[in-house]
Amino acid sequence: MIKQNVDQLEEKSVYVIREAASRFKKIAALWSMGKDSTAMLAIARKAFLGKVPFPVIHIDNGIDFPESYKFRDDLAEKWGMEVIVAKSKIKPEISGYSCCGSNKTVALKKVLAEYGFEALIVSIRRDEHAVRAKERYISPRDRDFKWDYKNQPAEVWNSYSSKLDNKGHLRVHPLLDWNEIDIWSYIKKNKVPINPLYYSNNGYRYRSLGCTHCTVPIKSNAKSIDAIIKELESTKVEERSGREQDKEKAYIMEKLRSLGYM
Amino acid sequence: MIIREVTLLGHKDHGKSTLIGNMLILTKTVTKDRIDSAKRMSERLGRAFEPGFLLDSFEEEQEDAMTIDTTRAQIMHGGKAFEFIDVPGHEELIKNMISGASHARFAILVVSAKSREGIRTQTKRHLFIAKMMGIEKVVVCVNKMDTVGYSQIRFVKISNELKEFLERIGFGRNSVFFVPVSAYNGDNILKLSDKMEWYKGKPLLDALSSLSPKKPDNKRPLRFIFQGSIESGKKSLCIGNVASGLLKNGSEIVVSPNLMEYSVGEIFTKGKRVGSAKAGENAALLLHPEPKEDLRGMVGSGKESVVLGKREFNALVFSTETIPKEAKIRINGMDHECAIEIMEEIDTSTGMRKKSSVIRPLEAGMAHFRVSSPVCVEPFSVSEQIGRFTIYKKEQFVGLGVVQ
Repeated sequence: MIKQNVDQLEEKSVYVIREAASRFKKIAALWSMGKDSTAMLAIARKAFLGKVPFPVIHIDNGIDFPESYKFRDDLAEKWGMEVIVAKSKIKPEISGYSCCGSNKTVALKKVLAEYGFEALIVSIRRDEHAVRAKERYISPRDRDFKWDYKNQPAEVWNSYSSKLDNKGHLRVHPLLDWNEIDIWSYIKKNKVPINPLYYSNNGYRYRSLGCTHCTVPIKSNAKSIDAIIKELESTKVEERSGREQDKEKAYIMEKLRSLGYM
Repeated sequence: MIIREVTLLGHKDHGKSTLIGNMLILTKTVTKDRIDSAKRMSERLGRAFEPGFLLDSFEEEQEDAMTIDTTRAQIMHGGKAFEFIDVPGHEELIKNMISGASHARFAILVVSAKSREGIRTQTKRHLFIAKMMGIEKVVVCVNKMDTVGYSQIRFVKISNELKEFLERIGFGRNSVFFVPVSAYNGDNILKLSDKMEWYKGKPLLDALSSLSPKKPDNKRPLRFIFQGSIESGKKSLCIGNVASGLLKNGSEIVVSPNLMEYSVGEIFTKGKRVGSAKAGENAALLLHPEPKEDLRGMVGSGKESVVLGKREFNALVFSTETIPKEAKIRINGMDHECAIEIMEEIDTSTGMRKKSSVIRPLEAGMAHFRVSSPVCVEPFSVSEQIGRFTIYKKEQFVGLGVVQ
C-alpha cells in the first residue's frame, strides 16, 4: 500500500469540501463513526477554522456497536457537531445486500427529503473497491438515488458537476485520493479521536466498520495507531474482507452503489 | 511519497487496461484475492484471463471487454510512486477520457502493432488533447508485439509515423520515448524481454521512473483564486487557492477584475494562523477592508504583477459536442455567458488547420470568446489554472478550452 503525502492529500480534500460548502447551501456529511468519515470531519474542522459547518448524518439501524454510539455522542459534544440520526428499521429476515441496499438507503432518503439536502459528503476512497475507484469527486444521484454510472458527467480539471434540476442530490467525495494507510497517518499526525474498535482486543481488531451483523474483525495484535500502520505496510488482505455485503455475488458493490448505497 | 500521475491514451482495444492490469500484477501490487476474482470473472465470461478486469469493474465493462469510465491505480517502482489513470478508448466516451487525463502530467500512449490495428483516429486525437491540456511527456508503448513476431521493422515504422505527428503538435524530441511491449505477456514492462534483443532502451517502468515532475510555482507572480467566504466567530474570511507565487501576511493585494485593493491581515492554512501560503495551498484570509461582495471567481495578485480582467480572448478549444454560438464557460470556478466565434478548425488526426466557422464534434479549433462581464484569464502557457476553462450548453459539457 503506497503511503502518500498527507499534507497534499489534505489540501485536495479541503478544496473539495470548501467547494461543496461554497456552492451548495443545504449540505450534510455522512458519519459512520468509522476512521474515514471521522478523518474527513477533522479535515473539515480545520478547513472551517475550528468547527464543522454542516450537520452530520448517522444512519442508525439500531445494531451498531455500543462503542460506536458512545464515540458518536462523545465526539459530537467535543466538536460541537449537529448530529442527525436517521433511524432505519432492521428486519431479521433481511441481511447483507438487501439490508444495505434497502434499509440504509431508505432511511437516508427520508432524511434528505425532510431536510432538503442538495449535497452529501461521503468519505469513500478509491482504494477500497474497484467500483468506488470509478467515482467522480462530485457526482450526481437522481431523485431515486440512482447512480447513472454508465453515463457520468464530465469532470475536467476541477470543474465539478453543479446543481441538478431533477430533484436529485450530489455526492461529494473529498477522500477519493486517500489510501487506507494515509487515513491512519493523518489520524496520527493530527491526533484525531478514533473509535476504539479499530484497536486489537484479544487478538482481533476491526479494520473496516459496518454494523454488528455484517462486520467481522481481522486477526491482529495492533493496539496502537503505529502498530496499525505497520500492519498495513505489509498486509496482503483486502480492507473490506470483513464486510459481508461485498461478497455475496458478482458486481454487488456496483449494484449497491447504483441504488444509492454509500 | 510524491505521486506521478500518468494517464493512458490510445484507441479502443489497443490494450490500455490490460497494460495497467498487468503492471499491477508484475509489480505485485494487487492482492491474490483481487487477481483470483478477476480470473473467476474471466472464466465466467468464457474468456482467457483478462488483467484489465482489475480496473474495469463494472459488469457492462467486463461483459463487453471495454472501459466505460476512467479509474486509477497506484504502483511503486524503483522507489517512485505512480498513479495510472485508465481511460476509455471509444470516441463516444471521450468526455470520460478527458475527465481522467485532465489530472495527469505524463502519459503512456498505447498503440497496437497488430496488422489492421496500428495508428488509429483515437491514437492521434488523444495525443492532441493531451498536448493541449499540458501533458509534459509521453511514453509510447507499441503494444501487441507478440502478434507481429516481435518485429523491429513494425516497431520502427509505427514509431517514425508517430514521431512526425508528435512533433507537428508540439511535443519536442526530448519529451517522447518509445518502448515495444506486449502488455498481455509482460514483455519489456518490468524487465527487458529476451524476445526483442534489438531493443536497446529501458523497460517501460524504468522509462517512467526517469520522468521528474515539475516543481510548484512558488517563484511566479502571485495568483490567488477566490472560492468564497467562511465565517469564523464574528469575522468573515475569504477562502481560496494559491495557484502560483507566495501570499504573505501583511502584503497588499489587488483583486481582479474589479481592481479592488486589500491588505492581508491574517492567513490560515490547515486550520492554523501562518505567515504565508504557497502555491498549491488552500488559505483563508482576513482582508482589510472587509470585502462587500463575494469574491468567488476573482483572482488576487501582487501590485507588481496584476492580472487584468478581459472581455475578449482567443482560445484553442476541443469540442465533444457541437459548440454553440452562445454558451457558458466555467473559469476560476465561475460561470460566464459568452459569445463564441470560431475562426479555424484543426483536424486532430492530422494537426492540419483550416479556416472555418464551425468545429465538428471531436475536433479542435481556434475561437474568439466575448464574455458578458470581464473575467481574469491568462495564457495557459503562463498560468495553467487561470488559462483553462470548460464549455457548457445549458448544463451539458460540450468542450474545453485553453487561453492563447
